[in-house]
Formats: sequence, C-alpha cells, structure tokens
Amino acid sequence: MTKEKPEAWLPLTPAMFHILLALADKERHGYEIMREVDERTEGKMRVGPGTLYGSIKRMLNDGLIEELDERPDPELDDERRRYYRLSDLGRRVAIAEAERLDKLVKSARSKKLLSARGT
Amino acid sequence: MNLSTRVYGLLLLAYPPEFRREFGGQMQQVFRDSYRAEARGGSLLSFWLRTFVDLVLTASKERADRSGREGVFMNRRSDLVALLGCVGIIVIALLLLGYLKRNDFFSIYWVGYILDALVSTGVVGNFIVLLLWMTTRLNPFRAALWTLATVHAVLLGVIFIISRSAPGSTDWGGVVLGYLVSFLIWVGLHFAWQSRKFTRIDTDQNKSV
Repeated sequence: MTKEKPEAWLPLTPAMFHILLALADKERHGYEIMREVDERTEGKMRVGPGTLYGSIKRMLNDGLIEELDERPDPELDDERRRYYRLSDLGRRVAIAEAERLDKLVKSARSKKLLSARGT
Repeated sequence: MNLSTRVYGLLLLAYPPEFRREFGGQMQQVFRDSYRAEARGGSLLSFWLRTFVDLVLTASKERADRSGREGVFMNRRSDLVALLGCVGIIVIALLLLGYLKRNDFFSIYWVGYILDALVSTGVVGNFIVLLLWMTTRLNPFRAALWTLATVHAVLLGVIFIISRSAPGSTDWGGVVLGYLVSFLIWVGLHFAWQSRKFTRIDTDQNKSV
C-alpha cells in the first residue's frame, strides 16, 4: 500500500500526533517538544525521552518530519541540540488526523456524550 | 554532568547500539533538562519511575523492531505476564513469610527458610536477569540459570559470613534446603516460561508458512 496519501498513516499514536502538533507552528528541539506537549495538555500527557526519540526516529524514516541543517537561533542555544520541523507530508498527515478526531468528537456530540459547546 | 544523568546514560545501554548512537546523546540531554526542571519543584521519585517505565517499554520496542521477528521482547504480553507472575510470587511469599514469623511457624517443615530464600533471591536474581535480557543478546535461559546460581551462592555465602559472628544461631539444614528449593523453583519457572514461549513462536511461524 502506498503511503503518499495522508489517510494511509491513520490513526496515529497519541505520542506521534502530539509531536506533530508541537511542530505545527515552529521548529523545535527534543526538550522543547516535550515541554510544549506537557504545557498544552496541562501535564496529562508526558512524553519520556524513549517515547520521544522512538517516535522521532520513525517519523524521520517515514518523512513526516525533517531535521534542520541549521539551528534557528545559534546565539541563544546549545549547539548539540537537533531541531526538527514538519515536512509537507507530515503537515498533511497531522491535518488528516485532526479531521478524523474532529469527526469522532462530532459523532460523540450527536450521541449526546458531549454538549453542543463541547463541555 | 550530575550522577542521575550518568546513571541514565548507563541505562541507555538497554537500547540497540545504532539507536543509541543516533539518539543517545539527545536523550541524555533531554533527560538532564527534564531532571533539572523536576528538581526545582516536582517529585524526583515519580520522575525516575516515569523515566524507567518509559525506558523499559521503548527499549524493548526498539530491540524488537531491530530483530524484526518474535524475539525475547517481541512477545510483550508473554513478558508482561512473566514479570507480573514473578512479582506476584515474591509478594505472596513475603506475605506468607510475615504470617509465619508472626505466628512462630517460621521453622515448621522448613517452609519459612524456603520462602525467605525465594524472596531474597527472587528480588535480586530476577532484577539482574531482567537487566541482562535488556542489555545483552545472551541466551535467555542460560543467562537466568547462571545468574540465579550465582545469586543463590553469593547470598548463601553472605549468610555464612554473618552467622560466624553468632555461632549456633543458624539452622544450616533449613537454610541450605531453602536455597536449594528456591533455586529449583526459580530455574524451573524460567525454563517453563522459555519453553512455552519458544514453542509458541515455532507454532506461529509454522502457521505463517
């Protein structure tokens, strides 16, 4: 099966989706990704170093993310850090996963599991 | 580099060498940053616990991915059952031991000595066996056999040295029998688990052919 279509990657693991989300607005290094996920989920989702780099390895191999050749701000940062960003394919996969989850939430709402305002 | 980061660096040996080469330095750096943040206001114990669980689960996954077949850690459900079974045996033996000691039944039929040996060698021996499985590609049963034999012998030796300071206080018949039975039980369980596991793998492979 070809994996050029974003739907071929779905569903993503929670860790992969959270990492893609963390990289959606800017390139980040590993610890920044961890912190962003932690803050965004208010500590409910914590990605350990093994999960983080295991997922990064797979996403690099699959072309969902790319490693930057240059650091965004060499003046302010440790030069040993590696930065990652979403690839075009990764962005399309993240959008497809978000749409899939959105449909699920809509289904839950239609079954009265969630109120109309989403609370 | 602080002690915790060094210890974490050693634990990274659980990952396959190529994964370690590619990401080990980054992982250690992320660990160091997280450790510093946690030390400022969190619980270091829960941090270490989370990190250790993350390490055990992901290292086994990376090793399984590398081997690309049902290997030592590929059959995760079987490994988890074995791990929980092992912890369960130790906990039950510990509870029984407490009961026997409270009610002065410790030496009856030497059951207390057997339980005592089962708990102490079970905790130390199985922990070392687990580390060996994670960090090496040794034959699982042989690694367990030799580790358990060494642990039993060393602990027996320690008891011997300690008991020299209080001659006559140790029932050597009970102690030696306890360690012998404990060795046979642990080795028997490891043998049964490995045989069952590899028989299942063979059966699965035959089915897929």
